[in-house]
Amino acid sequence: MKKSILILVIIVLLLSACGGGGSETSSGGGGSVDADGNVTLDFWYALGGDSGKAIEDLVNQFNESHPNIKVVGTYQGNYTTAMAKVYSAITGNTLPNVAQLGAAPLLGSSGAVLPVKDFLATDTSFDLEKIHPAFLQYNTAAGELWSLPFNNSVPILLYNKELFVAAGLDPEDPPEDIDELLEYAKALTVKDSNGVVTQYGLNTKDDTHWYLSTLFLENGAQIVSEDESEMLYNSPEAVAMLQTWSDWVNVDQVMPRNQHAEAQSDFLAGKLGMLMGSTSGVSGIQKDAAFRVGSAMFPMVNGVRKVPVGGGSLVIFKNDNELIRNASWEFVKFLISEQSSIYLTSQTGYIPIYKDALDWPEIESIIEDNPLRLAAINSLPYAVAIPVFSALGNSDLALQNAIEKVELGSADPQTALDEAKTSVDHAIKTQFSTPSP
Amino acid sequence: MSSLTMADAALKRKRVARKRLVNGAQNGVWFLVVCALAFAVMLPFIWMIVTSLKSPTEVFAYPPTWIPKEFQWSNYVEMWNKAPFGRYFMNSAIVAICVTIGQLTSCVLAAFAFARMEFKGKNVMFMIFLSTTMISSQVTLVPTYLVMRTLNWIDSYQALIVPFLANGFGVFMLRQSFRTIPKELEEAAKLDGCSRFRFLWQILIPLSKPILASQALFAFMGNWNSYQWPLIITNQDSMRTLQIGLRYFVSGEGSTQWGIYMAAALVVTLPVIIIYFLVQKTFVESMASTGLKDI
Repeated sequence: MKKSILILVIIVLLLSACGGGGSETSSGGGGSVDADGNVTLDFWYALGGDSGKAIEDLVNQFNESHPNIKVVGTYQGNYTTAMAKVYSAITGNTLPNVAQLGAAPLLGSSGAVLPVKDFLATDTSFDLEKIHPAFLQYNTAAGELWSLPFNNSVPILLYNKELFVAAGLDPEDPPEDIDELLEYAKALTVKDSNGVVTQYGLNTKDDTHWYLSTLFLENGAQIVSEDESEMLYNSPEAVAMLQTWSDWVNVDQVMPRNQHAEAQSDFLAGKLGMLMGSTSGVSGIQKDAAFRVGSAMFPMVNGVRKVPVGGGSLVIFKNDNELIRNASWEFVKFLISEQSSIYLTSQTGYIPIYKDALDWPEIESIIEDNPLRLAAINSLPYAVAIPVFSALGNSDLALQNAIEKVELGSADPQTALDEAKTSVDHAIKTQFSTPSP
Repeated sequence: MSSLTMADAALKRKRVARKRLVNGAQNGVWFLVVCALAFAVMLPFIWMIVTSLKSPTEVFAYPPTWIPKEFQWSNYVEMWNKAPFGRYFMNSAIVAICVTIGQLTSCVLAAFAFARMEFKGKNVMFMIFLSTTMISSQVTLVPTYLVMRTLNWIDSYQALIVPFLANGFGVFMLRQSFRTIPKELEEAAKLDGCSRFRFLWQILIPLSKPILASQALFAFMGNWNSYQWPLIITNQDSMRTLQIGLRYFVSGEGSTQWGIYMAAALVVTLPVIIIYFLVQKTFVESMASTGLKDI
């Protein structure tokens, strides 16, 4: 008995001794300044794969061109885990200086983030007006611009050119609106002698809420009320779109039932004619496809084209040190600069964030080198933002559930959307009691 | 000898022969079933290996190919160069080995106390130990993070190791195992002048080898595979572990390079598979002898 206690005591002592040697971290936020005024910044980002590589390149470019600032960038998992990490860092006071995150403006209410206006007040060298308004709206929560757009994507239609040819469709003339989309999808759907579908005409990736929301907006439906207190997507305009979606699956049978998770691999295996996806995945799909891939802008509804933007943004965290704050702003300005925007557009599937980017020769040459990017970049003028409100995550899930119910036939579109609205309204009222002004 | 007994004997022989045949057939069927199950278990591994040698376009080829058209050994080279995997390997090994040793030590001592000693509040304490196994790790994430922060341990090996040095389930499992060893053995040892600690070290532990081996394997595997805690608690590349390295290959938005990703997955899984084979014999023994009879 005595001996075992002794051993425990020894272990505890050893461990606490190890702890004494731990490195010191500065208080009042991350980053550090040395005696000569050189600043080291911590930067967290949430993109892996090729896009992560592009971010590392940009960090290196910044470090080379700014001798007094050194940015240390670290990958922190996908948007969900990176956000979890940021929240634990807020409680532990171990935040970095800058982070690239999804749903970033929602951090505004945490009190850990500096609003962009704080920097714009003293720095006139940056003109916010040049950025497409949809991206600014996408970074605004409760009327305040909390973050700046960095990597942004829009929904897009990808198609298999070989299957178009086989179905007697012109591979250079993709569908323009949802009526044409259905026609094409019918032509692309193939059944075997037993009536079993072996090739579907259309499917969407598993972020189904995004594509349905696009259809909502194009048909004139609203997602959420102005004051962000109530969901509005059980309106007739919205229900009509979910009905169209339901018909694709249940009536026309051109879209497989509830198989969105497999949509991309079906597409790559040549078993799917058209795929609704994100522009950000285009380069990956092109690399993995053994056939010629075509791309088109998201189909219109009644001649209206509106594409809600998605993607990640940059936030600057509060810091006691002015030098660090200014260096953070320098870094963010660099990441959203025209040059960086061009670089990111050339290396990934993301689209430029500047209003007049379509006129830039660099962007034109990116499209020339890779015509697949044309549709994505051309979508820029049609970009809109779904308001960022506290229950956005609940809303996305509720829409996905509504789609699933309708596809499986367990609810009609009106009921499904009524239920979605009720559940999100409830979430707005109970979970988050911060009515916006 | 009458003809009756001869017929009897012949019948008996026949019956034995038939029994043998039935047994043989039964064994054959069982063999096939076991083979099929083994194949089902192996399938993901085989698929992982095959995919790790494919080119991006072949990964999604339909119908799927079982033997890559062209072996892409370069996937392994590219994977190794993509992130500091040597460092990740070292970190994962240090953490997993320290946690395994630490957990075994603490669990053995605690289990010994719970199984073999009488003290005030023993049952209450044991219940508290048990209840810790019912709290999911996500719930304790933030409090543990704050403790690490107060100790200034963020971005350190201590933070990756210390929170896992005790394990309620391990204590429970070892206590059950220790209790199956007869009390008389301890009394006899005591009579011969054996101290408690020596009894534990020289008699109880050698007798519990199988259960200790499986506990070690659980601890090692659990730690080797953990993702969330190392991600949350480390910020610099030099402190990160293999599982985080794996995620560098995954892009949420569709540009995951599956061939390279599977190559990395194979390299990361390999140590666990090797260790499993090393301790397999003792491990299987423990499966047979894990008796939870006197709870």
